[in-house]
Amino acid sequence: MIDEQMAVFIGSGLRLAVPIIFAATGEMLSERAGVLNLSLDGMMLMSAFTAALASWATGSPLIGVAAGVLVATALAAVQAVLSVTLRANQLVVGIGFNILALGSTTFLYREIFGPLSRDPIPGFAQLNLPWLAHIPVIGPALANQTGLAYVSILMVVVTWLILKYTSFGLAVRAVGEDPRAADKAGISVAKTRYLGVLYAGILAGLGGAFMSVADSNTFTENMTKGAGYLAITAVIFGGWNPWYTLAACLLFGFATALQFLVPALQLDVPVALLLLLPYLLALVAIAGFVGKSRQPSALTIPFERGG
Amino acid sequence: MVMKNPKLARVAQGARLELVPLQVVVPVVSTIIALGIGLVIIAATGASVVEAIEAFWDGMAGSDFNIGASINRAISLALVGLGFIFASRANLTNVGGEGQIAMGGMFATAAALHGAGGLPLGLAFIVPLAVGTLAGAVWGGLAGVLKAARGTNEVISTLLLSFIALPLVYWSVESFHLLRKPISDVSSLPESAEIPDSTKLPLLFPDNGSPLHIGLLIAAIAVVVVWLVLRHSSLGLRLRAVGLNAMASRRAGMRTSFYVILAMTVSGGLGGLGGAIMILGQQFYLTSDFSSGYGFDGLVVGLLSRGSAVGVVIGALLFGFLRSGSINMEISAQVPSAVVLICQGLIVIIIAGSAILTNRKVTR
Repeated sequence: MIDEQMAVFIGSGLRLAVPIIFAATGEMLSERAGVLNLSLDGMMLMSAFTAALASWATGSPLIGVAAGVLVATALAAVQAVLSVTLRANQLVVGIGFNILALGSTTFLYREIFGPLSRDPIPGFAQLNLPWLAHIPVIGPALANQTGLAYVSILMVVVTWLILKYTSFGLAVRAVGEDPRAADKAGISVAKTRYLGVLYAGILAGLGGAFMSVADSNTFTENMTKGAGYLAITAVIFGGWNPWYTLAACLLFGFATALQFLVPALQLDVPVALLLLLPYLLALVAIAGFVGKSRQPSALTIPFERGG
Repeated sequence: MVMKNPKLARVAQGARLELVPLQVVVPVVSTIIALGIGLVIIAATGASVVEAIEAFWDGMAGSDFNIGASINRAISLALVGLGFIFASRANLTNVGGEGQIAMGGMFATAAALHGAGGLPLGLAFIVPLAVGTLAGAVWGGLAGVLKAARGTNEVISTLLLSFIALPLVYWSVESFHLLRKPISDVSSLPESAEIPDSTKLPLLFPDNGSPLHIGLLIAAIAVVVVWLVLRHSSLGLRLRAVGLNAMASRRAGMRTSFYVILAMTVSGGLGGLGGAIMILGQQFYLTSDFSSGYGFDGLVVGLLSRGSAVGVVIGALLFGFLRSGSINMEISAQVPSAVVLICQGLIVIIIAGSAILTNRKVTR
């Protein structure tokens, strides 16, 4: 009985963590280049909706994911123009995009699906990898995931490799720490930051699409429920390091999953307290009570040549 | 980046812009563009634009009741907007209006239900207002303390504090030990009992059926006080100095952390007052989502105003009327009210994107 519930808990914790892992991993790279995308939640929401719509229309969740990523990347491109070229306040632009994304997805959802639609959205099947299922306790939870969930871990590895071993990764780090020096060394600050924001858009798109076509097979209004903000917090919590960020995302995922486990174990803890737990953890984390870390020096500061 | 002298930049800017005050043109043009796009979207849904606008107008100002309701909405938005510009005077961005409203409304309800009802001389509603203000002030001040003591970015902390406040309100109306009303034959909804009549804000025009209440006077006083403090007091100057250059202010003998905490506390307090007025003036009982959207609306109002208290009043009225109109448009013309959210998002993005026109110096 307890084992069964633990398996469910671990499974839902992982599923809740996946969208945050995607978004946070992309966001981390963008922030290392000096651009903070507060619009992450909006990108995820737009992608979740577009993926649901495209999957519903074509019957193919794969096309859904592609469409979701495309829209999120387009949003990221506009965000990059505003943040990098027009040097707009990155935080304000981000909030604007989040309001826009909430408004437009709610509007389109009601127009296309109607206010009370329960139409199932074609989604991915779980893989059920037998060799994983044999691991005690966590095995079944690890094995019963969609392919996209494994892609999220792959993206963490890819991002880590990019940052550590490629010239682009070096450029990203240089531009985020000292854009003036990077510029003098012949690195295009604007190009590097554009690519960083687009990378964040692609991964946020994967995270958003995961929510609608891999996790729940439905779209609901404001379905991200602040997951984008959690992802940004995970980056801060993780000290701009891909592996610590991954750990922070898993922590948030499991903290969110507690709201299903605690009532099942018949513990008398108010659900509301479990709902706010991830955010409270995040607040404690960014207040620096859990190890002090240093953010990229040029984070949120626009760069102007020769200024 | 060689820091330009902000004062010189401002003087130069003033000289350049004397004929065309871009600070006014940009918000007005952005609003017009956004509303234009909103109309195009409505037309694209196949709904009758005329019918939609009629329904919109009717909801905004079709009757004394609707006008009063719209202005009542504007009151809370104005208070949140004032809080936003107060913090931004110290170069702090308080995006946690939603949480501050929520805390203000929750504690005002608690005060109104438990104790304040029997107080004489109008204290029955003044005490809950004060308690709500205090709750918002604590919630905002917390972000100030974190900023001053730990260097925590106030944008992230106020956002997270909002995500923490909303479940707390949910908890308070879910639990019978807290504010949830006992289950009766007629209702078992998770909400608080209705507050006593003595704690409701007195109406300004009780005879013509308008719900307009004395919150209008409170908001008017707040507008004047914030305007005086920000523009014509040494406190306003000090807040600005701390915001522009904390290190120089410290060298000049100012306790910068004090001003950071003060700015966030006052900012949060204004949001809390806005939340308290929503409960005591119009809704009369607490529900888990009573603050929904007001925080971001208030934030947009603050952004639109570009730091001017008069701008906050105009923006708050605009959004108060827009919100009333959009609700009626959804009911009578079947156009989703989310259109207004789209317009608001566009307004914020266009204004932020055109900051390069109005503000050459690097912000933040």
